Amino acid sequence: MRLGELTLEGNGEAVYATVRGEIDLSNAEALRRELTSGICNDASGLVLDLSEVDYVDSAGLHLIHHLREDLRARGQRLGLVIPDKSVIHDVLRLAGIDWDKDIAPTVDAARRMLESPPDA
Amino acid sequence: MLKLDLHEKQLHQRELGFGQVALELDDSVAAPVDQVRDLVRLSDPALSELEFDKLLDELLVRVRDLLNVDTAAILLLDEQENQLVARAAKGIEEEVEQGVRIPIGRGFAGRIAKERVAIFIADVDHADIMNPILREKRIRSLLGVPLIIEGKLIGVLHIGSLVPRVFDLRDLAVLELAAARAAPAIERGRLINALEREHRNTVMLQRSLLPRQLASTGGVTVAARYLPARGEVGGDWYDTIELPGGQIGVAIGDVVGHGLMAASLMGQLRTALRAYALDGHGPGRTLELVDRFASSLEEEPMATAAYAVVDANEGVARFASAGHPPPVLVSAAGEARVLDTTPAPPIGAFGYRTSTEQELSLEPGDTLLLYTDGLVERPKIPLSASIEELVLALQGSLGAEEVCLMAMDRLVPRLGARDDVAVIAVQLQPVTDLLDVELPARPRMLARLRQMLGHWLRGQEVDRELATEIIIAVSEAGANAIEHAYGPGRGTFRVRVERIGGLVEVRVSDSGQWRAARGQHRGRGLKIMEAAMDSLEIRPRAGGTEILMRRRVQAR
Repeated sequence: MRLGELTLEGNGEAVYATVRGEIDLSNAEALRRELTSGICNDASGLVLDLSEVDYVDSAGLHLIHHLREDLRARGQRLGLVIPDKSVIHDVLRLAGIDWDKDIAPTVDAARRMLESPPDA
Repeated sequence: MLKLDLHEKQLHQRELGFGQVALELDDSVAAPVDQVRDLVRLSDPALSELEFDKLLDELLVRVRDLLNVDTAAILLLDEQENQLVARAAKGIEEEVEQGVRIPIGRGFAGRIAKERVAIFIADVDHADIMNPILREKRIRSLLGVPLIIEGKLIGVLHIGSLVPRVFDLRDLAVLELAAARAAPAIERGRLINALEREHRNTVMLQRSLLPRQLASTGGVTVAARYLPARGEVGGDWYDTIELPGGQIGVAIGDVVGHGLMAASLMGQLRTALRAYALDGHGPGRTLELVDRFASSLEEEPMATAAYAVVDANEGVARFASAGHPPPVLVSAAGEARVLDTTPAPPIGAFGYRTSTEQELSLEPGDTLLLYTDGLVERPKIPLSASIEELVLALQGSLGAEEVCLMAMDRLVPRLGARDDVAVIAVQLQPVTDLLDVELPARPRMLARLRQMLGHWLRGQEVDRELATEIIIAVSEAGANAIEHAYGPGRGTFRVRVERIGGLVEVRVSDSGQWRAARGQHRGRGLKIMEAAMDSLEIRPRAGGTEILMRRRVQAR
């Protein structure tokens, strides 16, 4: 298995994180630690690019769930980049999770999403 | 002090000091006829058939008997160290056992080697000898001659007596004749011995460089064969690499040349290819990097190689070749055909260059065969013709083992191949209605489980979206078994997936104690399984828990 590889990059406002590969029980916890430590307090939010992620299981959803909660507690936003055809949509649907407000199909769309007022 | 029963005019005698006398026989001295007749036995053809050590022993026994002495020994020149090494001895076996080494120019044997003359010592007690064993064994008199072949010194032959003895002219003539006869036999034996040792070492090295175990991964079966050439090993290799993405890498190569050098270069190229492949490079890029690596080596090896990345799940092999013969594909129905490939130049031929990559599509049950040219090269027969012969030989073969077997059996000549031969075959496992695997209870196994299941579902022609949902459910059940049913330790879990008509039935069982789902996370896993499958049961079993799930699929 290709362990999810993580790339972090900040552009002043938001932090951009790209994960590639698969996220499951074997690596979700490690990824969560890396992601959490990579986000500074003054960032406006996190854009988590999952467009090159081939698989996410419930441990991966758990990771994203906690990331969302942590960010929300710090007044930061999370933008998830998940293309329309991604298998992640299937997993979300089966788990009965609706994160549609935080999901965008491309990085640009996710950036715009984060820049717009939260309840617009 | 020395009394030699010799005629002055026949012998040039020179004092070397310290009780040693150099003797040089005049050509006019002939050894007694009967002894010469006996000596002819030393060049007996039977002797050359003997193993090297036995040959030396036999020589010494004959010399000892012939001259009626107590000891006889042969020391051979170690050119690198410029020393004589005791190699065989009769009566003073300790010389060999203790590995006595004498520097050239020193002591009795060392002087014989340096001066290239016979040396006689009448009384060991009053002479400069280096080897303490001679004194300890109470040898009183010694006579030694150099072993020379074509002007080149190869060692020393010496005899000894436990009672003071004055070796006479005839003794010296006999010993010199023995040395003259023995030298070529020793040299030949030594060469054969060295060649045999190199061959043995090379075969050993070759074996150690080839994989002992072929990778086994979900969805493929691999078989391989290596046959050294008649007489000499070469630089052929094969390899399988379990890639991080769950695919399997299959490599084959052929370093130009033979012997130890080719085998050692093969080892380096195999390792390099493996390392680049594990780094995640595709076949084309991997061969480019191996090419670059090869040009960095001092020996600048030339080689051909082919590398395929087989994805059983997707049913494709990405393939690249550097001057290597084209692969053969044998379908699940046993039809064999050559695959049309466009090889890049061989490795080490033109410096850096790019390798093109091809995508070969594979169906379940298909077998891909890679081979080195040793399998198909025949004198005076065009390569294309013998590849056709290979294709014919493989018609009707099923599976990796059988394909390798038929290729070797039908194409390798009875007396062994002229060149070394390597073949490796990889088969996409044919799909049966039952997938039954036991896996270590470790999180990393989940990816492998998903891959195997994907391959199986694809073979069952289950609709892609439906297959995705089943994979998601089974992965969750597997995670459950791994995470909750075990403490730290190394248990296993079993996944049994069966197609029963229009139904896929999955049983995931473990042998741990079931614990209720904890928190949202595991609850979410259960929810996913319920949503993805038509039915879900969690059943305690003897010694563990089983999750039984069913999902309707399209009827066949």
